[in-house]
Amino acid sequence: MSKIMEWVDARLPVTELLKSQATEYPTPKNLNYWWNFGSLALLVLIIMIATGLFLAMHYKADANQSFDVVEHIMRDVNYGWLLRYAHANGASFFFMVVYVHILRGMYYGSYRQPREILWWFGIIIFFMMMGTAFMGYVLPWGQMSYWGAAVITNLMSAIPVIGEDLVVWIWGGFSVGDPTLNRFFALHFLLPLVIFGVVILHLWALHAVHSNNPDGIDLHDAKDSIPFHPYYTIKDFYGYGIFMIIFCIFVFYAPNFFLEPDNYIPANPMQTPAHIVPEWYFLPFYAILRSIDFLGSFSKLAGVLAMVGAIMILFVLPFLDRSPVRSFRYRPLSKQLFWIFVVDCIVLGWVGYNPADATIFNGALPLIIIGRTCTAIYFGYFFLLWAITALDIEKHQPVPKSI
Amino acid sequence: MNCQEVIKFRSVVKRVSRMVRSAAVLLVAAASLTAAVPGDAQASSGAAVPPKQPWSFLGVFGQFDQAALKRGAQVAVQSCLTCHSIKYIKFDQLRQLGFSELEVKAMAEGTGRTKKDPLTSSMDPTAAKESFGVVPPDLSLITKARKGYEDYVYGILVGYASDSDLALANRVMADGKIGAEEAKEVASALLLDGHYPDKMAETLKRMIGGENFNRYFPGNFFAMPQPLMDGAVAYTDGTENSKVQLARDVVTFLAWAAEPTQMERKSLGIKVILYLVVLTIMLYAVKRRIWAKVH
Repeated sequence: MSKIMEWVDARLPVTELLKSQATEYPTPKNLNYWWNFGSLALLVLIIMIATGLFLAMHYKADANQSFDVVEHIMRDVNYGWLLRYAHANGASFFFMVVYVHILRGMYYGSYRQPREILWWFGIIIFFMMMGTAFMGYVLPWGQMSYWGAAVITNLMSAIPVIGEDLVVWIWGGFSVGDPTLNRFFALHFLLPLVIFGVVILHLWALHAVHSNNPDGIDLHDAKDSIPFHPYYTIKDFYGYGIFMIIFCIFVFYAPNFFLEPDNYIPANPMQTPAHIVPEWYFLPFYAILRSIDFLGSFSKLAGVLAMVGAIMILFVLPFLDRSPVRSFRYRPLSKQLFWIFVVDCIVLGWVGYNPADATIFNGALPLIIIGRTCTAIYFGYFFLLWAITALDIEKHQPVPKSI
Repeated sequence: MNCQEVIKFRSVVKRVSRMVRSAAVLLVAAASLTAAVPGDAQASSGAAVPPKQPWSFLGVFGQFDQAALKRGAQVAVQSCLTCHSIKYIKFDQLRQLGFSELEVKAMAEGTGRTKKDPLTSSMDPTAAKESFGVVPPDLSLITKARKGYEDYVYGILVGYASDSDLALANRVMADGKIGAEEAKEVASALLLDGHYPDKMAETLKRMIGGENFNRYFPGNFFAMPQPLMDGAVAYTDGTENSKVQLARDVVTFLAWAAEPTQMERKSLGIKVILYLVVLTIMLYAVKRRIWAKVH
């Protein structure tokens, strides 16, 4: 055995790689369970690619056939229902896991120097995930697939000068139709593989600078770190177990929990659903889009810019945060802002779920007002985080010297 | 426990309590928001929410009532198929419900088909559109494709105006206007919003005029006339063939038709989850053992 490994190692240093990147790869010993969500995201990505591959073997992208083909997978393909339900719920769980992963990074300052590139790769993955999920949702060609695609692609028409032509180019026609479905399928197949590539870059960037930790301090002492394997491999596997239990409860016992009933109605270009609602993971951004409605003919463009800006602003987060301390554990003001931000995102999601003209308190308070306020708070988080750190308003608590 | 362990335990307790506290804050915030919303923020369409029914097939251990499935299939074939299709089910598949091959053959031939054909309607879609204004929707997925699911479909089947409802409408509208007491009476009988007498009067007028009123349909009026009446289908197993019973049975059948693999899914689920629970407990034990060395 060792002879064989010697032969391989002389040509491809596998042992050396395992040693430097796993069995001797130094990891902070104080990582809490929030650090499980990165490896969980990788697990879900693998589940999505595996189930997606087998679904693609049975699926047909065709405006006249896709709806029937999905039902064929549900009814006639061996364990087709399992593939589809795991894939559909997997999308929701992917976003849940990734949202926790992003928020963990924001709370413990994982985006700070020297991890900016690592952070940027993460945002790129997130952005591509949104595109992939959106196009995947179109493939069953139900009512929500069709009208969701129509609403979202139509946003491109807000781009000045080229907008209208761009939308026709994306559709491959003068409305969402068969060509749109086909290109979305092709891209939906391609993008996850690109995501996988960027995940490798994300891991490369991680291993170059090593993990952040809940205290947000650099590791000086050898006592502060433990090898990734076996400590974090077993911890990640334990996390996988917990995750799979929760995931399977949904797949086997509430598989349609995250799905809109309307998407079990075949796409009908002649009949708009009463209420077009995106998947839950897009709702906060959808609410931001709709909250800009007071700029007359510029509203649409401004809404789109606000929606895209809500993600793009994450790119500059490393430069907005000027605190000498990374972890919010020792930053009382930042910590409060962070929790306001989290609640704000949930409220935005709720606003996005309801119709644009909905009201509460018997009509006294239109939801659009809440939507605008929450949009302001969303961007306000980034401004205030900069303000309290750049202007030295926040007094941080003492930070430990070592873990 | 030694001293170090006690300290570690305390810090874990503290951390957990902090997490619970922040989770509680979030929950309270979310709860106060939902409490602020009277009912469903979408309830503006005005239809009543169909009451929940005790379906035997729901839940982790829920099973189909086999006799109800067979009766429901009979209702579907003899009644629903007149206008609707259930195209994802073939006659031959009904054997899974306990029908014999001969019975299935007879059912198929009764509607002019063979057992290899799907359950499609004998009504021509163009003719349907001419008489109803819409093509009746395929029912294969109907229990999954409406908010309220099985309860909604059942609600629609039993939610039409009865003779006594019509008598009430006629009595209330005899003087051409609706008083406050009458509004209350109508609101509770027909599940309408009592706050808008004008809208209510309009609804009653249309109802008296012979339009298809339904308590549970958003907007109250739609193209489908009442499909099931008492005694519409003759049962062979001695079950009473009231409207309510027919509706219950056919919804059971439609819930099966919407996902014939659902019982396979649920029985596999228990095995998978039990396996995962045991595996996770073992992983946790190994994790604790490995981490015992780290301080």
